[in-house]
Amino acid sequence: MSALLQRSPKKSDPAPTKARTAKGAKGGGTGRRRQENLAAYGFLAPWFLGLIIITAGPLMASLYFSFTDYNLIGDHQWVGLENYERMLTDDRLHSSLRVTFVYVFVSVPLQLALALALAMVLDRGVRGLTLYRSVYYLPSLLGGSVAIAILWRQVFGAEGLVNQLLGFFGVQGPGWVSHPDYALGTLVVLNVWTFGAPMVIFLAGLRQIPRMYYEAASVDGASAVHRFWNITVPMLTPIIFFNLVLQIINAFQTFTQAFIVSGGTGGPSDSTLFYTLYLYQRGFGSFDMGYASAMAWLLLMIIAGFTAVNFLASKYWVFYGD
Amino acid sequence: MNIPYGGARSRRLAAPIALGAAFALLASACGGGSSADSDGVVELRYSWWGADDRHSTLQQVIEIFEAENPDIRIAGDYTDWGSYWDRLATSTAGGDAPDIMMQEERYLREYGDRGALADLGEFDGVLDLSNVDPLIADSGDLEDQTYGIASGVNVYAILADPEAFEEAGVDMPDDTTWTWDDYVEIAGEISEATDGDVVGTQSMSYNESGFQIFARQHGENLYDEDGALAFSTETLTEWFRITEDLLDNGGQPGASQSVEIEAGGPDQSVLATNTGAMAHFWSNQLGGLTESSGRDLELLRYPGETDNERTGMYFKPAMFYSISAGSDHPEEAARFVDFMLNSNEAAELVLADLGLPANIDVRSHILSSLPAADERSAIFLSDVEGDVVDGNPPPPIGAGEVVEITKRVTDELSFGNLTPEEAAEQFISEVESATGSA
Repeated sequence: MSALLQRSPKKSDPAPTKARTAKGAKGGGTGRRRQENLAAYGFLAPWFLGLIIITAGPLMASLYFSFTDYNLIGDHQWVGLENYERMLTDDRLHSSLRVTFVYVFVSVPLQLALALALAMVLDRGVRGLTLYRSVYYLPSLLGGSVAIAILWRQVFGAEGLVNQLLGFFGVQGPGWVSHPDYALGTLVVLNVWTFGAPMVIFLAGLRQIPRMYYEAASVDGASAVHRFWNITVPMLTPIIFFNLVLQIINAFQTFTQAFIVSGGTGGPSDSTLFYTLYLYQRGFGSFDMGYASAMAWLLLMIIAGFTAVNFLASKYWVFYGD
Repeated sequence: MNIPYGGARSRRLAAPIALGAAFALLASACGGGSSADSDGVVELRYSWWGADDRHSTLQQVIEIFEAENPDIRIAGDYTDWGSYWDRLATSTAGGDAPDIMMQEERYLREYGDRGALADLGEFDGVLDLSNVDPLIADSGDLEDQTYGIASGVNVYAILADPEAFEEAGVDMPDDTTWTWDDYVEIAGEISEATDGDVVGTQSMSYNESGFQIFARQHGENLYDEDGALAFSTETLTEWFRITEDLLDNGGQPGASQSVEIEAGGPDQSVLATNTGAMAHFWSNQLGGLTESSGRDLELLRYPGETDNERTGMYFKPAMFYSISAGSDHPEEAARFVDFMLNSNEAAELVLADLGLPANIDVRSHILSSLPAADERSAIFLSDVEGDVVDGNPPPPIGAGEVVEITKRVTDELSFGNLTPEEAAEQFISEVESATGSA
């Protein structure tokens, strides 16, 4: 993602110029242009077909199913708003919403703060920057994977690495993933650990802030704290905004980590029952796919709502420069 | 990402190439799924759940079947119990159900009622059902259709590790007379004597099959003929209180540890890891657990069989062989089920792992050749048989969900979030809404 952000201005430029010169030199007509368009559509086709078949189709189907009692295996009947009404009285749904909101509101700010802090350290020109960047980025690639979730379960188990380390200091740690008071916290830590993706984006953003601002501020005697709050943060707000929107959406959709760490149960005692996990349980465990579809649409609404509020609020704090 | 800019010729080729590539992708995505090779060999999928030793055994059985039936190839599709049902539901919904699948009584109705399973009564001359033990012969029948045929007989019991008892210096109980109080006391003694290195027993309330025995001991049951709940809140409260007592006296691992043990399945049970003296399992799991523990485990009758209203233990069809209604090759699938059910060769490998074989002839054939552990389970079954009063009515639709509800309520109870009374009430209300009997 960083590569795209950094290079996009350079990259988009030369291509059109080349095309223009080529056309000018060889005097191509509309036929060639049409052929080029055709080629473009041809290359786009796999993605476009994917969008229709793999994304848009199921999306619409799930909207339809959310108004039925579809049970995965047999026929289904139209039940109107019944699934949506049942959500109002479903205690487990409410507790899954609570778990998910806590997760989003705790892990996203922590993750972004850590990402920004490390980006600023790296921005000071550490030797071997590319290496550090890759090392810190690595967890972002691995964080959502099954292997890491399994590893996490081992590391934070009652007899796991963390407790063995604590044992050296004479502390008897709890079963981090098997105790309802700590399990969600452990998953938050797992998410914060994948700070690499936003960090790389922050790093790119920091690079774009003109040095002269800092120089001018230093000449005027501004402290590091002042420089941070009055130059870095305002100049970085578009990047912060971008990361915030993206990470909130990601956090709402968290599934793999909770599924693997809790063995698919959302346990212990529903403390890691994420919304998506409960949706999965309803759909595939209880054959309640109509209800699960309705839940999916509620999640879509929630995420859309958060994103909309984010965009509206951005007018008041995001600074797009001159 | 740099696309070299070619001449006019290469550009003229670009459009057809791109389109061709797109269609090739599409075609390859739509391909597959055809299960008959050009050379006439039929490919079937057989899915089961279980631990590692079952996977390797059943793969061997498949190889023997394939050697005898060169026109059929069978792909094994296996996972652990926990993910089995998710996977089966997903593949069934996607129209890609395995041709042959292991079923269980709590799920059989769910699939049968919705038309996902073939009627096994319709394979005359291919699938011979005549030798099945009458006790369980029609346990997979629903409304005149045979949706599953039992693989074997099972009984839920306590597995005990004599070496662990010895280590703790505690005598093995006399399981023909022991009471629930004895059970709690013995478990506590073992934990105490070994300073917790060996716990007395694994938590028992994670599986509702145990409570079913307990309810039957009190003249009640888990479900009645109509699929409604058939036990009182008091009985369930008392059941949960035993777990509370065991938590109090250290007879079972703490809540958090129990969560980890349960998540690990049989291979992580206290018996398999030699960290406990007793655990509650189905009798067919004796063989596998003996292997993974490296100890000569023994089966014990449930406590309280003699000092309550009646005995509670029961025979259960261990698993069912079912054939998907959507299978392209039901005849071939039926031939494989017939092989699993009626052939001595298959039974010689499987032994009692899918329950003591349902086919009576096969059962007597392997009885002499059973390894020590499976022989003990066969003897145990015939010992218990005299005490079993009756069977259970088939569980209602939604009983599969009860598995999860039981775990959840037990977690809440163990972590002290619910009292036994509250746990009983929550269990009842959740099960009623899951099985639609409220």
